[in-house]
Amino acid sequence: MSATAPTAGTPALEIHGLEAGYGKIQVLWGIDLTVEAGSFVTVIGANGTGKTTLLRAVSGLVRGVHGSIRAFGQDLHGHSPARIVRAGIGHVPEGRQLFPLMTVAENLASGADYLPGAAREITRSRATVFELFPRLAERQLQLAGTLSGGEQQMLAIGRALMSRPRLLLVDEPSLGLAPSLTKAVFRALAEINRAGVTVVLVEQNVQRSLALADRAFVLENGRIVKQGRGSELLDDPAVREAYLSL
Amino acid sequence: MDPTLVLQGLVSGVLAAGLYALVSVGLALAIGVIGVINFAHGEFFMIGAFLAYQLFVSFGFDPLLSLIFVAPALFVIGAIVYRSTIRYVLEAPELNQMLLTFGLSIIFQNLALLIWGGDPRSISGVPYRSIGVQLGGISIGLVPLGSFVISLVLVLALYVGLARTRLGRAMRAVAQNRVGASLVGLEVDRIYLVAFALSALLAGIGGVMIAVIQSPTPTVGFAFTLKAFAIVVLAGLGNIRGILWASLAVAVSESMVATLVPNGDALRNAVFFAIIFIVLVGRAWRRA
Repeated sequence: MSATAPTAGTPALEIHGLEAGYGKIQVLWGIDLTVEAGSFVTVIGANGTGKTTLLRAVSGLVRGVHGSIRAFGQDLHGHSPARIVRAGIGHVPEGRQLFPLMTVAENLASGADYLPGAAREITRSRATVFELFPRLAERQLQLAGTLSGGEQQMLAIGRALMSRPRLLLVDEPSLGLAPSLTKAVFRALAEINRAGVTVVLVEQNVQRSLALADRAFVLENGRIVKQGRGSELLDDPAVREAYLSL
Repeated sequence: MDPTLVLQGLVSGVLAAGLYALVSVGLALAIGVIGVINFAHGEFFMIGAFLAYQLFVSFGFDPLLSLIFVAPALFVIGAIVYRSTIRYVLEAPELNQMLLTFGLSIIFQNLALLIWGGDPRSISGVPYRSIGVQLGGISIGLVPLGSFVISLVLVLALYVGLARTRLGRAMRAVAQNRVGASLVGLEVDRIYLVAFALSALLAGIGGVMIAVIQSPTPTVGFAFTLKAFAIVVLAGLGNIRGILWASLAVAVSESMVATLVPNGDALRNAVFFAIIFIVLVGRAWRRA
């Protein structure tokens, strides 16, 4: 995990008036959001409210974005995903986006190979990833496409960690996973955060993600409608009714 | 059937397979990495042939020597074509991409027609053109043998490069998952440019060889585009390893038909169309 201590006071992520979408379809309508360095932040919301688009806008996968996005004080607006990774932002994307015909080891190496700083630390980063996910160490020579869903998710997180990010964006890691695996993945995310990496988690598994979060945001129709400490929102009757069906 | 004739057809086919593989891996690279079906691929081949011809006529360069100039020239031409056209249709429907490359092919052919005219141009003065060995009634020309060896070395170098080098791994990453590749810090657009330029370079080297083997006309490229397509389809899209076998199959069947069937030379083109047809129908049938 990142050895760089977050600069005191500078937020890991500052978003102002963010508008984004695909072609003529606008998805995000003026998002304001600040993530303190070192914190664990969760964004919850129903399907299609723009959670994924929010992460994609930060990591540069969505083009034609309006508004400002700064990470650790650095302006990211309009940069390519490749440059944004270099700024210390890892993204575990929706659908994992692994290289299916490469082995687990090759997928992990790819996470560091093209980033000068990370390439020097490749052995150490790999050891950290294997410590976090011993399963991956056992399957190093297996093709990523033949892994189970849970293992693929671990590999996707592992690959993003290989870039030694200071900020990790994680999109729906629990999607399609058995409850026991979901638990393991969430435990790993908490551990990554404890090691000093700021985590922004987008999830439909509201119960678990709110329990982990220092701060949480509720997204509805492309707007943030509620925010607070994770535990606060977990107790909020409206949130409980809308997302926990309690 | 005359056994010597069969053997001769076999040997000629195997020797031709090298060049076919060289041109096809270039096409497979463009299709596999960038996902663009490039109908102008054979035009890079044709440009390579005419550049070699021109260097021979103007400066007396031996084709082997001219490779040093033609290969980088084709790399640059490929890069320019990618940067100025292909890049803008990456997100467009496949039909638009095909129409674009088809248009490029027509433009290049006509440019060549303007510059060099429609007559076959031959590098007749190369001293080794007519050298060959006779082995029990089978003749093996030095030029086909040399082109086979050079092609094979280049194709194998490409395999090794894709498997072992950082750039090769980057190309495979981009080919397998574009989003994933950009998230690990690869400038996808730059990898595409290099892959396309490399694809043009490989075709151009093949063109230099055809300039010695045959006497090319501006339309020589199109026939090779079709052959390369048959081979890539036979190998399976994106399967670069299958190309060697597919090249062998296409080249040997073509050569066999040309040698054994009366007036078979005219049927050469029918062979690879038949192969495309059988493979596509066969695959569709198996999937159904």
